Amino acid sequence: MGKKRRRHPTLEELLERAWCYYCERDFEDLKLLISHQKAKHFKCDRCGRRLNTAGGLSVHMNQVHKESLSNVENALSNRQGLDVEIFGMEGIPEDVVQQHNQRIIQNFYQAQADRQTATGNPPSGAGADHSRKKLKFESPEELKTRLREYAARRLSEKAAAPPSNPRDVQSPGQGNMPFNAPPHGHPGYPGAAPSAYNGLQQSNLPARPTANPTSPGLPQRPQQQQYGSNYWPPAGGNASTVDELVSGASRQNDNIDHIIRMAEAGVKPAKEDAPAEKKKKDKNRMVFNNEERCPEELLSMILA
Amino acid sequence: MAPSQIEIAQPPADAISAIAFAPSTPTRFLVSSWSKSVYLYDMSGGEEGGEGCLLGEFEHPAPVLSVCFGDDDNEAYTGLDLSSGELTVLTKHAGAPASKVAYSREHSLLISTSWDMTMHILPTSNSSSPLIVTLPAKPFALSLSPSKVVVAMAARLLHIYSLPSLVAGIQAGNPVEPWQMRESSLKFMTRSVSCMPSDLGYATSSVEGRVAVEWFDSSAESQARKYAFKCHRTLHAEKNEEDGKEETVDLVYPVNALAFHPVHGTFASGGGDGTVALWDAAAKRRMKQYQKFPDSVHCLAFSCDGKYLAVGIGPGFEDATINHYDAKGKARILVRELGENEAKGKSSK
Repeated sequence: MGKKRRRHPTLEELLERAWCYYCERDFEDLKLLISHQKAKHFKCDRCGRRLNTAGGLSVHMNQVHKESLSNVENALSNRQGLDVEIFGMEGIPEDVVQQHNQRIIQNFYQAQADRQTATGNPPSGAGADHSRKKLKFESPEELKTRLREYAARRLSEKAAAPPSNPRDVQSPGQGNMPFNAPPHGHPGYPGAAPSAYNGLQQSNLPARPTANPTSPGLPQRPQQQQYGSNYWPPAGGNASTVDELVSGASRQNDNIDHIIRMAEAGVKPAKEDAPAEKKKKDKNRMVFNNEERCPEELLSMILA
Repeated sequence: MAPSQIEIAQPPADAISAIAFAPSTPTRFLVSSWSKSVYLYDMSGGEEGGEGCLLGEFEHPAPVLSVCFGDDDNEAYTGLDLSSGELTVLTKHAGAPASKVAYSREHSLLISTSWDMTMHILPTSNSSSPLIVTLPAKPFALSLSPSKVVVAMAARLLHIYSLPSLVAGIQAGNPVEPWQMRESSLKFMTRSVSCMPSDLGYATSSVEGRVAVEWFDSSAESQARKYAFKCHRTLHAEKNEEDGKEETVDLVYPVNALAFHPVHGTFASGGGDGTVALWDAAAKRRMKQYQKFPDSVHCLAFSCDGKYLAVGIGPGFEDATINHYDAKGKARILVRELGENEAKGKSSK
């Protein structure tokens, strides 16, 4: 039923990957790396022959084309030299290896931290063996006592709060709500919800009459009416235990997780699509943008 | 000597506006510059490729915005800011500089466009007055193929004129309608246009790091072949002004120059990021990206035999700095000698 979780490579796996000295690109295996090097870095400009090493290419250029090779093509600017003899992973100077590993390690932890802040998930141990979330069971007796507690509390609250309050502020769509199901988490119930919880759910929606995720025009969600706050914490500020708070929060996060997982798998839900793309666009910055005049005209205007 | 790159020893004193190779001498080229001069260089002088010697400097009364060769190696036309001067003034654009010039050897026509929204077409074989074509918007780029003129304008307009009908229009004295009117397939200002030497199509580039390749043939299947791609962008770590966080931003540079290889039909693009890339238009592949140049690439030109690629570089045009732009002493010309197959596309093997 659940989507297969995208597995992120472990640090060990990342460090083991073959990588190219000249351009720092990494590869699935050594064979691919070597063919990459032959195609990108050790290919003769003149005849297209692929040599095994930079030295080999240099000799080839010398003998066949009577030319001398001055630098390695497509290489990073500080790795163009012909003095190091590279073949696959062999011949990479120790300090460069250290530097590379450092970079990989840094990127790994950065990516992991980013994922954690994005998903709110705990760090995955060694990338395997995720203990499943515990399902919470309540015996019928427990449920009953909880219901009693809840009813008693509601009664006392009702006595305390001005009776007209909830109805007045309600949006018209909720008028047909059964009477025994109060508007959950309504701000009109002082102390109905622990403030921390309130902050979590409502901080950016202060004006809304309820913390209800359904829009006011739509009929109530069935579970909320049946179970009240017990199984849908966001619907009620009446979470009675810390456990409930936690499970409520994680439920919320599960939703985010799901979206993220979908996005990672390349499945984009229609709704999430638009903002994601907007974000992407924001990250472009044009160096020159003018609809009216080209740079030359601007320049000639300045000179004139 | 590997495919080598030489730097011209005496570059223009100010930013380079255009480079044009001579039609029959592959080592000779003209450079027009904002320093109010046109420079003639030849690379055949010295041993080992030489440094490229300056054969002559032709002073103009105003910055020179464009240059092209005439019928042979000894004849050239220039486009001037405030076109006037003691050289023979061929045609005069009223009110605004002549931004681009091009010469069609096949039809002996000199074509110039100006920011006054006109295009002048001047037959050089006789001294008749030029045909003036009014354009709907400011022209930004001009390119000729053996039989077509492509003018890219503001508001993403693009008009294609046919050279034979322009010749007929001059003889009859009639206004000439464009052969095709198109909208650019790029969303931003067109920066450069270059026609395929095969006369089949053209490439356009925009200020937003993108190049489009299109075909003249307006049939549906030819039009379906057109495509566009992103290029000349670099990832850049930047501080977000709102939250102060580091984030990677895609810096998008204008693609200032396009040039088709006269033999292989591949093309080169040069951008504000200081890189030049070779593209295979048919295979839709990048064949090569050269080492970053120290400054923004302003213009590109292939020699008539396709053996040399001249690159004019200088400080880039950027929104932030355009108002106090100064390229004096910073303009450089690099000429790359291409290997035999360096610019040859896969399909033509």
